[in-house]
Amino acid sequence: MGIYTQIVWLGGLLVEVVILVRSVLGRSLAKYPLFYLYIGSVFASSMALYVIAIVSPSLRGLLYWPKQYVTLFLGCGVIFEVSRHVFAHRVTLDRIARWTMLVTFGAIFLSVAVQAFVLPHWNVTTNTADLERDLRIAQAIVLMTILLLSGYYGIGIGKNIKGMILGFGIYVGASVFSLTLRLFFGTRFDPAFGVIQTTAYLVALSIWMVALWSYEPELVEKPPSVSAGEYQVLAGRTREILGSINEHLDRTVPR
Amino acid sequence: MIQLIISLLVGVALLAFLYFFVRRSKPSAEGSAQRLREARQTLDSLQFGLLPNDLVHRIFAREDLEYILSSAPSDVQLLFLSERKDIALGWVRRVRGAILELVRFHRGHARLYAQLSLATETRLALNFAGLLALCRMLQVAVYLRGPYAAPGMVRTVAATAARVCNISEQSLQFLKVKPLDPLNDTPSSHGASV
Repeated sequence: MGIYTQIVWLGGLLVEVVILVRSVLGRSLAKYPLFYLYIGSVFASSMALYVIAIVSPSLRGLLYWPKQYVTLFLGCGVIFEVSRHVFAHRVTLDRIARWTMLVTFGAIFLSVAVQAFVLPHWNVTTNTADLERDLRIAQAIVLMTILLLSGYYGIGIGKNIKGMILGFGIYVGASVFSLTLRLFFGTRFDPAFGVIQTTAYLVALSIWMVALWSYEPELVEKPPSVSAGEYQVLAGRTREILGSINEHLDRTVPR
Repeated sequence: MIQLIISLLVGVALLAFLYFFVRRSKPSAEGSAQRLREARQTLDSLQFGLLPNDLVHRIFAREDLEYILSSAPSDVQLLFLSERKDIALGWVRRVRGAILELVRFHRGHARLYAQLSLATETRLALNFAGLLALCRMLQVAVYLRGPYAAPGMVRTVAATAARVCNISEQSLQFLKVKPLDPLNDTPSSHGASV
């Protein structure tokens, strides 16, 4: 492990501790349980890997990918948490996001099952990076669906969830890039891969720390009521505007 | 190689989405009475001011052109074509503006409802997108080839816009002042059906 990666790794652990402490002090732990479960599990596994890297460096390589899969799985919980809060009062939109999640992840696991069944030499343990990239792509697609729907309908997103989306999105995006390039360039890309992954994760953690420093409830909007009297005023104004349009047309076109 | 390109494209797309997400401004109070009034006004101006058959026919009337060509000197013909082109372009611009306003309103208003109809939302989104593209194409056609370049397109724009208006009207039904009719006064008719 290079000095830079080591510093970033330690910095990440420190930020994770700060996030977890703030979640208790700011009383947001109960509001975003899946997100904090993710942070807690990453902290615990990173800490364990750090100790293992010092005590038995050869074991670290063996444990890296299983740890990645656990955090990858819990990362889906973060997306679930985001969707739950963004579409808290929009049943249909939440359903669309969940269906997208189900379909994309289902398609990937189905393709893994098919490959394992059809290709005799294909083994999930020897194609870990490949599978992780596919799962990161699935996460990216679900995140984009949430962003697209919330953007299309102009749904207001609070500071906490905004930070969660941004941090997770940056990490997922960087992972998609680095895992893809690693598969393309092979082990030559490993040093850059480590730097990109750890830096992106530290950036994500820093965003989460700032955004989740204190709990901020999501904005709830309600349909307004409009009186018929107000409509009469509107109708009058509409007629005025129509009159001016017709007048303009009368001046230009013989009727 | 294709896998590599697709993966990188997904990464780029996600970063682009995040960029626009960060730049996204706070949602305006689409549900405010003022916004609802504006939407109703836009809808009315479309339905009664811009889309009626006689107005569309008047702007794009071929018999006007034929009359001018047969009985007016060339400078009057040129003036007529130029004026009619301006009117046609103005009409398309106004229809497009009104459609955009309805799109904005619909999105802002629909978000207030928990249960959206996926089919209606998809149909509306496609109608809006198609209509806006059609308006743009019509603008280009009129600009390049004059007001009589694409009569079929004009009819399509007017018909599609009228269809969109009908769907949007259902969302704004509660703004209509209805005559008193106790027999038909069902509570369901007062809600926005989006």
